[in-house]
Amino acid sequence: MSYQYIKFGKEEKDFIAKLEKISGENIYSCYQCGKCSAGCVFSDKMDRTVNQLIHLIQIGQKDKVLEANTHWVCSSCLTCSVRCPREIDVAALMEAIREYCLREEPEKVKISEIPQEALEKLPNIALVSNFRKKTG
Amino acid sequence: MVQYSYFPGCNLKTNAKGFEETAIAVSKKLESELVEMPNWNCCGTVHTMTSDNIMKRIAPIRVLSRSRKHIEDLEESPNQVVTLCSMCNSTLKIVNKEVSDNEDTLVKINYQLEEDEETYEKDMEVKHFLEVLRDSVGYGEISKKVVKPLKGLKVSPYYGCMLLHPEEAKIDDEEMPDVLESLVESLGAELIMSPLFKYCCGSYHIVDQEDIVSSQVTKIVEAATKRGANSLVVACPLCAYNIDQQQKAISKVSSSFRPIPVFYFTQLMAIAMGEPIKINHFNDHFINPEPLLKDLGLTGRKKT
Repeated sequence: MSYQYIKFGKEEKDFIAKLEKISGENIYSCYQCGKCSAGCVFSDKMDRTVNQLIHLIQIGQKDKVLEANTHWVCSSCLTCSVRCPREIDVAALMEAIREYCLREEPEKVKISEIPQEALEKLPNIALVSNFRKKTG
Repeated sequence: MVQYSYFPGCNLKTNAKGFEETAIAVSKKLESELVEMPNWNCCGTVHTMTSDNIMKRIAPIRVLSRSRKHIEDLEESPNQVVTLCSMCNSTLKIVNKEVSDNEDTLVKINYQLEEDEETYEKDMEVKHFLEVLRDSVGYGEISKKVVKPLKGLKVSPYYGCMLLHPEEAKIDDEEMPDVLESLVESLGAELIMSPLFKYCCGSYHIVDQEDIVSSQVTKIVEAATKRGANSLVVACPLCAYNIDQQQKAISKVSSSFRPIPVFYFTQLMAIAMGEPIKINHFNDHFINPEPLLKDLGLTGRKKT
């Protein structure tokens, strides 16, 4: 990752405080060992890996965090959370970023735009969990 | 006969009918009957990891409260609600743990339940059916009921995420589980170990990011077939749907891809215990397991 400026204005501090409140985790517990990204089965599909995203939160790069697809690719399999040596619930942090977005803009998935035949074909377990994770 | 209050969850009545019917049939055979609780609602399927949302925790607590009422009508029933779906198992267990640790949350939730004259008193335990089989029934008892050992079936267990994560909900060691392995062996099938036994299938991304699921399923299935598996065994209706349905789609575009049938663990038990084949609802499967079972002489009619 290239060098990033550290940003600690009011906006960034509020952002970090909000994520910590939603997740109940301390973002600065992370010491960047990278175990979460090493074990993440979706790392190859993320434009920033999980530990990179956490680092961006730590240095207050709010815009870069929200631009990343990482938290939307995470499927909450919780492999990172059970392996974190600092016992951070990493998946809860990803959920906190999703929630942060959804509380501003509640429709990551627009239910009205899903084709009727897809809705009929998909099992309810998939639909309910998807809407619980991707709508506010 | 022990009776358990059984919580089906949304999918066992639609896509996974074979899972439910075989589970109930084998539970009766093993004298640990699963009795469906009345008036249940969806548990929410995924647990909310937010610390400030009570709303999403009400549904699972309502299930626990109704199940508590249900066990009063049952014979020799322990204070346990049994699930088949691993997502229900995980959601119910986590919320149960949360309210046990946090009286304040429970008071707020109970305030919501009051309208329906319900309340929850932290006196239920959530169990996955696999835990009941391992801890209360025992593999020895299961082996005794096997009339048709699954000889020739090379099964690779696929746990998915929710049986082993997180700490509050896991039914076995998260890195080295053996509950499905022991079960498969007690049914007389050959065990094939795959390193991708808990490699997430992509879960709910199937709705809007199918490509993620497709890529995961390719890896999961190839890891198993490369080691000689001719079938997978799962415990989660969403894993089952994703793997089963995606395999069909992948084989259309890749000629080298070899799809294998996906079984619920209770289906394998029902076949081994000589239950009628129709309770498996194989017509709901995308990769039909019947040709394989026929080849191995496991389809009900005894080979002459």
